[in-house]
Formats: sequence, structure tokens, C-alpha cells
Amino acid sequence: MMLNQELTNQIKELFATQLIYPIMVLYFFRKNGCDTCDETSQLLDEITSLSDKLQITKYDLDENPAVAQKYNVQLTPGLVVAAGRTGELTDYGIRFAGIPSGYELGSLIHSIIMVSKRDSGLNPDVRDQLRDLKKPVQLQVFVTPT
Amino acid sequence: MLAHQMAMESPFIQAEAIEAIEFYDLAMRYNVSGVPQTTINDGAGLILGAVPEEYFLQELKRAI
Repeated sequence: MMLNQELTNQIKELFATQLIYPIMVLYFFRKNGCDTCDETSQLLDEITSLSDKLQITKYDLDENPAVAQKYNVQLTPGLVVAAGRTGELTDYGIRFAGIPSGYELGSLIHSIIMVSKRDSGLNPDVRDQLRDLKKPVQLQVFVTPT
Repeated sequence: MLAHQMAMESPFIQAEAIEAIEFYDLAMRYNVSGVPQTTINDGAGLILGAVPEEYFLQELKRAI
């Protein structure tokens, strides 16, 4: 178990009250040279088992280069929080690289809830300005677990 | 996180949270000295720390 019982209960309760639409977590791993892939895989299994609105699909990045390219995933462990079910996924561009533990676990839970609600929670004015944005933007947010 | 909220709102934005210790070389490439640190379009812009969403958006627009 990656999550202790208390945390498991907290997340389960949060998902039960907050999740609306189904979520698909696309998880990318490598068999070699990825120190945290096994742990991340287990952690994601535990998280996605806490609600029937959550599903996970796992891809070996080296064996599925086309999928990795489609979702612009280069780092492992890597994950995409997408909306919907297999065959009808909507990608909102939300990615994590590295094991989502500690503070990052909170970020992952929040991002899952946000996508499930289909609501960014941003100020109306910021939303309006973002609607005028017509150029591709790549954001890389460096974070640490503590 | 704010970058993910921006990505959720705009089909043109992709946002990746990167664990800086695990991807140390990448963090060094972008001179990460504290977290969170946000790199916009491979270094065209930079946002240090956690900032209000209006400020984040202005920096993003300035960089593109």
C-alpha cells in the first residue's frame, strides 16, 4: 500500500462528493531506467480504485511511441489526466512527470476533480482573456514533493 | 495547480507538473532554484513562485 488508511478514506470521501464526469488516467512507464515507475503504477492503481468514475490505462512508452507522441509525453513516470472513457477521451493538456507523492499527490487529486467537474475554477476575467489566446503554450511547472 | 487550471480553460495550453528532484537535469537546464517555477515555451518566459492568476496570465501572454 502506498496510501495509508486515513489518506485513502479522505480521498475516497472527496471523490464521492466531488467527481461528476468520468476520468481516464493515461499512465506512461518504462521497464528500464525508471526508478519510480513501479511505485507510481501502484499509487495510481490505488487512487483510481477509489471511485468507479476513474479508470487507468497503462502504456509502456518504448512500445507505444505513437501514443506517447500523440499526448506529447516524453518523461516517465508520466501521466495525463483526460476526460471521458476509452475511445472518446478529451485531452485538456494536463500532465504530471515524476511520482505524484507528498504535495504533488494533492495537486493530482485536485486536477482529477477539476477535470471531472469540467470547471477550471478561474476568475471570469481570466477565462475571457484565455478565450482570445490563439497560440500554443507549453507550461512546465517544476515542483517538489515537500 | 494554476497551470493546470489554465490548460483546462484553453485548448492551446498544455501544462506539465515536473518533479524537480527526479528530473534534476531538466530542472538544471531551466535553472530551477525554487519551486514552483514555471517555464513558458521552453524558456521564453518564467514565473517564479506561486502567483495570483491574473499575474500568471500576464506573464504567459508576455512570453508568447
